[in-house]
Amino acid sequence: MQALERSYKSQKVIERMGKKLNRQIAGSLAACVHCGNCTESCHYVLANPGDPTYAPAYKADRVRKIFKRHFDWTGRVLPWWVKAGSVFTDEELEELKDFAFGKCTNCRRCSLNCPMGVDFAVVNRMARGLLVSVGVMPAGVAVVSKDQWEIGNQMGVLKEDYLETVEWMSDELVEALGDPGAAIPIDKPGCEIMYTINPREAKYDPRTISDAAKIFHAAGESWTMPSEGWDMTNFGLFSGDDELGGVVARRVFEKAIELGARRVVMSECGHGYRSTRCEGPNWAGMDVPFAMESSVVTMLRYLHEGRIKVDKTRNTASVTYHDSCNNARSCGMFEEPREVLRHVVTDFREMYPNRAENYCCTGGGGAMSMSEYTPRRLKSAQVKADQLRATGAKVVVTSCHNCVDGLADLIRHYKLDMKVTQLVNLVSDALVIEKRVAVPVARIAAALAGRRILVVDDEPDVRTFLTAVLEDNGATVFSAADGDEGLALARKERPDLITLDLSMPGMDGGKVFEAIRKDPVLAKISVCIITGRPELRKLIYERDVPPPEGYLDKPVNEETVLTNVRKILEVTGEHKAH
Amino acid sequence: MSGLLHFAEHRLQEAALIFMALVYTKRVLWLLKFPAGKERQAPTGSQNTPKWKGILYSWAIIGMPWVMESSRSNPFLYAQFVIFHIGVTLAIALSFIIPYAPGVLENGTVVLVFQAAIWGACAVGCIRIIRRIISPYMRAISTPDDYFSLILLTVWFAFAGLSAPNRPDQGEGPLLAYFFLTAFFLMYVPFSKISHYLYYPFTRFYFGRSMAHRGVFPIPRSVKPPVYEAAAPVQAEATATTRSH
Repeated sequence: MQALERSYKSQKVIERMGKKLNRQIAGSLAACVHCGNCTESCHYVLANPGDPTYAPAYKADRVRKIFKRHFDWTGRVLPWWVKAGSVFTDEELEELKDFAFGKCTNCRRCSLNCPMGVDFAVVNRMARGLLVSVGVMPAGVAVVSKDQWEIGNQMGVLKEDYLETVEWMSDELVEALGDPGAAIPIDKPGCEIMYTINPREAKYDPRTISDAAKIFHAAGESWTMPSEGWDMTNFGLFSGDDELGGVVARRVFEKAIELGARRVVMSECGHGYRSTRCEGPNWAGMDVPFAMESSVVTMLRYLHEGRIKVDKTRNTASVTYHDSCNNARSCGMFEEPREVLRHVVTDFREMYPNRAENYCCTGGGGAMSMSEYTPRRLKSAQVKADQLRATGAKVVVTSCHNCVDGLADLIRHYKLDMKVTQLVNLVSDALVIEKRVAVPVARIAAALAGRRILVVDDEPDVRTFLTAVLEDNGATVFSAADGDEGLALARKERPDLITLDLSMPGMDGGKVFEAIRKDPVLAKISVCIITGRPELRKLIYERDVPPPEGYLDKPVNEETVLTNVRKILEVTGEHKAH
Repeated sequence: MSGLLHFAEHRLQEAALIFMALVYTKRVLWLLKFPAGKERQAPTGSQNTPKWKGILYSWAIIGMPWVMESSRSNPFLYAQFVIFHIGVTLAIALSFIIPYAPGVLENGTVVLVFQAAIWGACAVGCIRIIRRIISPYMRAISTPDDYFSLILLTVWFAFAGLSAPNRPDQGEGPLLAYFFLTAFFLMYVPFSKISHYLYYPFTRFYFGRSMAHRGVFPIPRSVKPPVYEAAAPVQAEATATTRSH
C-alpha cells in the first residue's frame, strides 16, 4: 500500500539509489556505529553548538535510513529498531535536499576522522546526485548545471567572451613585457602544455590568466590555451551528477587529444583539479593518454629546474595558506603549495589546524552558488574566521577559486583585515624578468576617464561602493535607486555602461534590461548585471534580446568591478563600435 | 555442574556460533554483490604510498590514536574505546576458556587480569550509556539498537566478570546467565551494529586504497605554528549578506 502512496520522485530516488550503490558506499552506510567521533570534526557543528542536526552521523542517517529500509535486511525486518525509513513525499525530498546541499560542503574532514572509515562525503554526494536526478536541488545548482551542460562551462561564459578576455590579457601582457613572444597562444597544436582554467578567471579575475601566461613565458614553456574544453571545473562533483561529470571531463580530454598536448595543466582550482585529474577519468570512463597536473606543481617544477627566477622580497606582506579540501583531503596536495610560498614570500605563517586537518573555507561543495543557504554558510564560517584571525596575516593564499570566493566573503562578513590571493599571483609578482616594461601609471589611475556609467541598485551601500570605485578611476557616475529611475536616467544621460541590479522594488532589473535592449536608442549601451541571486541568470539570458555584456554575482570587490567594467568598455565596447 | 550449565556452555554455544557464522557469510556475500568502484586516475600527492601500504595503514589506524584528530583530541574517549574492546575480547575468550580450557582459570592472577579488564569494560559501558543518554548529539544519532546493544554488552560484561573465577560450586547463576547471554549475543550480533567489526575490514580497505592512491595516507598532521600576534576580533556584520539582492 505504501508504495502506491509514494510520489513519483520518491520512487525514482529509491530505484536509482539501488543503481548508484557500490561497495564503498554500501560499506559506509552499513558500518556506522554512531560513536559520535565525527561530530567535532565538522565546522557546521562547531559553529552551531547544541544543534545535533549538523552532526555528520545525523546527516548521513538521512540517507542511511533509506538504504536500510530498502537495501539492508535489518531495516526491512525491524525498521523502527534501526531507525530505517523510506521517503514518500516531495516534501521529504526537500528536507533531504536541505541536509545534502545546505548542511554539508563535502569537505571530507569527518571522513578522515571516522574510525570506521565511513566516507560521508561520498554518501552525501550520492544523495545530491539522486535528488538532482529528480530535479530537487537549489536553484543555483540547476542554473550552473544547465550552463555547464549547454554552454560548456559553469558560469555561462560564451566562447567569444572567453576568447576576447584571453586576447585582452594577451595584449596587455605583450605591452607590459614589451615582448610579442609573450602573447597567449590559442589552439596551438603539439604543445607540451594545454592550460585549462576556471571560468571565474575569464569572468572575474582575468589577471590570473595573464599571470599564468607570464610565468609560462618566463619559463620558456611550449603551451597553449584551448578554444574549447578550457573549463576544467566540473559541477558534476558538487551536484553528484556523474553523467555531467563525465561529459565535462571528456570535453577537456578530447580537446587535449585533438591538440596533441602532452600535459594538461589545471589552474589553481581545488574542485577543478580533483574533477579533471582524479574523478574525470572515472566519470568519463576514459584512460587518458597524457599527464595532468595542477599549476602549483608546474610552478614548483619551474622553480626546482631554475626555469623561472623569483625575488621573494617583492612579497613582504604576512601570508598564510588555506588548504583547499579537494586539493588536500581528496588529492594529497599538502606540501607543494607551501614550498612554492617559501620561494616567493618573506613572511609565511601556518594557520592551525592545517594540511589534512584544515577547516573548509565554507564555500566548498558548490555552496557559493546556493544563495538560499548563505546566512547558514556565513555563520559556519566563524570557525574559519577565527583560524585566519589567529595568524595575524594580511594575506591568505589558496589554490582554489571556490576558496577565494568563500574566504573573501567571510573576510568581508567578519571584517578581517586580510585579502585573498593565489599562488599564481604571488609567483607572478615575484618573477624576475629582465625585459620588464612598467605599465604607465596614468593609464591605471584614470582607466575609466571620460566614461559615463549609470549605477542602478536599490541598496545604498552598493550604490555608494560602486560609485566610489568607478569615480576613483575617472568615470562620471550617475546612480538610481530603482528600475524606473534607472531607465529615466539612462534615457537622459545616455551612459556608456549601466550596472544593473536584478531584485529591486518597482520595475525589477530584468524588465529594465529588456526595456533597454528593446529601445533603439538605448540598445547600444553596454549592460553589466550585478546581482546577489545567480539563479536569476536564466531569466536574463533566456529573454529574446541580446545578452548583457557582463554578469557579476555579489559580493563584488573593487578589482572585480574595475576589471569587468574595463573589459566591457575597452574590449566588448570596441567590438560593438566596429 | 548441572546439565543445564553443561548445555549452555557447549551445545548452546556451538549452535549459536554456527548460526552466527551462517548469517555472517550471508552478510559478507550481500556486501560483495555491490560492485567495487574503479579508480582510473594516476596517483596524486607526494606521499608515494602504494595502495597496499595505504590499506595496511588504514586497517591499523585504530591502533594509532595520534593519527586521527578525533582520537588525538579526545584521549578519554579513546581510552574508553581501548578498555571496552579489550573487555570484549577477553569476555569472548572466556566463553571458550571455561568450557574447553578451564585449567587456565586455576591461576588466580589470570582470573584477576580477566576480571579487571572485564569490569573495566563494564564501567566504560556504563559511562557510554550515560553519554548516549545525556549528550544531545548522541541522542540524536542513536537508534533503539544502539541503546540495546550497549546495555546488552554492559550486562554481559557484568556476568562475565562474575563468571571469570569459574566456580559453579559457589552457585551456577552467574555462569548460566553469562552463557545464555553469550548465546543470545552471538545470534543477535549479525543483526545489530555490533557486527561493525565485520564491515571494518571492507570500509577501511577501500578508503585506505583510495586515500593512498591519492596521496592522502599517511595523513599529514597539522604542524603547530608559533603563536602569532592575532588581529583583534571584530563582530560580524549584522546582516548576513547582500546576496539576498
